[in-house]
Amino acid sequence: MSVTSLPHKGNEPIVEPAPIPFFTQAAGFRRLWPEIEARLHEVADSGKFSHGPQVARLEHRLAEYTGAAHVVGVNSGTDALILLLRACGLGDGAGVLVPAFTFVATATSVVHAGGRPQFTDIDPATCQMCPESAAQAITPRTRAVMPVHLFDRMADVAAFSTLASRHGLTLLEDSAEAIGMRRHGKHAGLHGVGGVLSFFPSKTLGALGDAGAVLTDDAGIAASVAALRHHGRPGATIGDFPAIKTGSELVGVNSKMDDVQAAVLLAKLSTLDRDIARRAKLAAAYTERLAGVPGVRRVPGPLTDGGDDRDVCYVYVIEAEDRDRLATALTAAGIGTEVYYPVPLHLQPCFADLGHRPGDFPHAEEACRHTIALPLHPDLTIAEVDRVCAEIRRHYTGSTS
Amino acid sequence: MTATLPFFPPDLFEADRDTLIEIVRDVGTALDQRFILGEHTARFEHALRETVAGADVVACGSGTSALSLVLAALGIGPGDEVVVPAFGCAPIAATVVTAGATPVFADVRPDTMTLDPGLAEAAITSRTKAIVPAHQFSVMADMPAFEDIAARHRLRLVEDSAVAQGATLRGRPAGTWGDAGVFSFVQVKSFGMPGEGGVVVTGNPELAATVRMLRNHGQDGRRRFVHHVVGYNSRFDEVQAAFQLRRLPGLAARLARRADIAAYYTERFTPLADRGITPPPPGRDGRCYYVYCLRAERRDELAAHLAALGIGTHVYYPAPLPAQPAFARYAPPGAAWPNAAAAGETILALPVYPHLSDAQVEHIATAVCSFADRKDPRP
Repeated sequence: MSVTSLPHKGNEPIVEPAPIPFFTQAAGFRRLWPEIEARLHEVADSGKFSHGPQVARLEHRLAEYTGAAHVVGVNSGTDALILLLRACGLGDGAGVLVPAFTFVATATSVVHAGGRPQFTDIDPATCQMCPESAAQAITPRTRAVMPVHLFDRMADVAAFSTLASRHGLTLLEDSAEAIGMRRHGKHAGLHGVGGVLSFFPSKTLGALGDAGAVLTDDAGIAASVAALRHHGRPGATIGDFPAIKTGSELVGVNSKMDDVQAAVLLAKLSTLDRDIARRAKLAAAYTERLAGVPGVRRVPGPLTDGGDDRDVCYVYVIEAEDRDRLATALTAAGIGTEVYYPVPLHLQPCFADLGHRPGDFPHAEEACRHTIALPLHPDLTIAEVDRVCAEIRRHYTGSTS
Repeated sequence: MTATLPFFPPDLFEADRDTLIEIVRDVGTALDQRFILGEHTARFEHALRETVAGADVVACGSGTSALSLVLAALGIGPGDEVVVPAFGCAPIAATVVTAGATPVFADVRPDTMTLDPGLAEAAITSRTKAIVPAHQFSVMADMPAFEDIAARHRLRLVEDSAVAQGATLRGRPAGTWGDAGVFSFVQVKSFGMPGEGGVVVTGNPELAATVRMLRNHGQDGRRRFVHHVVGYNSRFDEVQAAFQLRRLPGLAARLARRADIAAYYTERFTPLADRGITPPPPGRDGRCYYVYCLRAERRDELAAHLAALGIGTHVYYPAPLPAQPAFARYAPPGAAWPNAAAAGETILALPVYPHLSDAQVEHIATAVCSFADRKDPRP
């Protein structure tokens, strides 16, 4: 190996600061590797590489963690939503109230289940679906309401529960981002007929690929989802290859989870609560440094964390002036960001046929103009938070302090 | 008892166990932290193109999902009818239903158990939008006939080639007939892998582009979180793509081994026809031995006989699709699918995986022959 001395001015070596990726789980993965490796050997020993024993164990452990009576492992959070909605049997053309500011799967899953999304605005202070806006959107066709627990906290499930019972609607939760979140001791996803989890890699509990699950206390819904994920085959099919000869009772799909992913998730589940606590600490550090910085329009409000109620910071989202220029500046400084979400669902090309126009949901539209998510994962250091915040301050004020 | 020669072998990837574990570690700790639809997947798609005469290959979540993506990309939906075989795997009917369309079942040929072209053509109505023949076990459907029917009736032709990767018919690879084909990589398939995945194969660039959008939430791959169409989450994991890239060079040899085992079985079983056991149709063209499925008049007794000798077998589809509760509502009153029903009563699949030893293959063949030679009185 040859070493070349680069000439540089003065005596100070020029040190390029290491990039700060928006997300990485590499260090945590390395720490957990002995357990992951042992589980991968178990997968290979079992010889069942999807819908196998590790998936069964993950379902069991998630049931313990969330308190759900039933957990059904599937191929993604999106599939979990589709199958949960189908299992609820809302019927063709059923209206389902969803927020206009969320990931697209909240609404496309309704379409795939034969329903029609009915968009509602958000509470500008929290970015969560607004119960009053939802109440106004109810029509005779409305059958269900599906709030999303977005980014870092739960939607007002008590208000949605009241709304649902007052109007005779089914309450479901898009709790894809909400592992670890609780209200009144009850985990997200269990306040209505059911909810979902996504294990997309950057999630609070993330796999190394796509995976998801349905959570429910309803045995009938669980049985339907379990059949739908495996070509409509009834009964206990996990770990049972010859079950593929069983005829289809329901018109199903293939949404089986990979055991390699379940193995990784089982290992990561063992550190989940520590990771959640670390996320809270990092979020508080961001808020402390960014509150009052010119150009930063909004930092997240305090997270509920005590007794039976807990929010979890899955992503740390601020609202910023001239957001796209801030993102460009941070990228130039080696700092990764994401824009969740640049276009509200009612203005997405795929929902053009619903006939919405700009201005229909002003808070959702405003959020899309200003939100930006900053790096947040359990291995992020406070020094890195300092650097991100200093760059934001520099961008808006020309000074890092 | 547990078969000493299981039908579904647990050790399919034993020789590559360390490779799999190394790939998981490398992907998990890689600098780019890209886990889905990344560089490995792109390279895998590119590598597969060379096996399908340069057609485009789009990796997705499963073979089933690949069929759904094709139907959606072709614009098949409510009000449309799709002609499908009455015998086969659930997705061939289920994907039509989940697309919002109506499956119209046509019977299969008695010899190949693939969709009968004449019956399929007879099932065409003014609402028919597509025909979806499926290759079955080891035999490709009569694609030239379906190509002709589709052209004459101006229908879409979707090739359910989930089981037939590596087969060619008249020099043309499975997957490249019709508007699009699919492959499945669920572990037991000929190019199985340790997880769920599949691909769409199509020579139509516009269709490929639409499938690429549909598999990832309707995004165009340029601007994130802008959704042009109501899409799906049907993506390919980098761990699996990296594994398949490592296994691709060995695929031809594994397929050849399957074909050799099948040829040996057929040689041993051909003389048994007068004793109620019929091997799959002979020949090499349009064949791919994912499953070696013979027909046996006393099927359940043969299965029990083999089980007693430690040999696992499998009955894939005991009942025609329209006889299953999920699809019964698409079966017109009084309609019958006698060839599908007969297939369900007589099929029996034998182990044909490439790591069977010659001695094991001989043992299985001899066990089948010894059953045929038995002088038991028939019930």
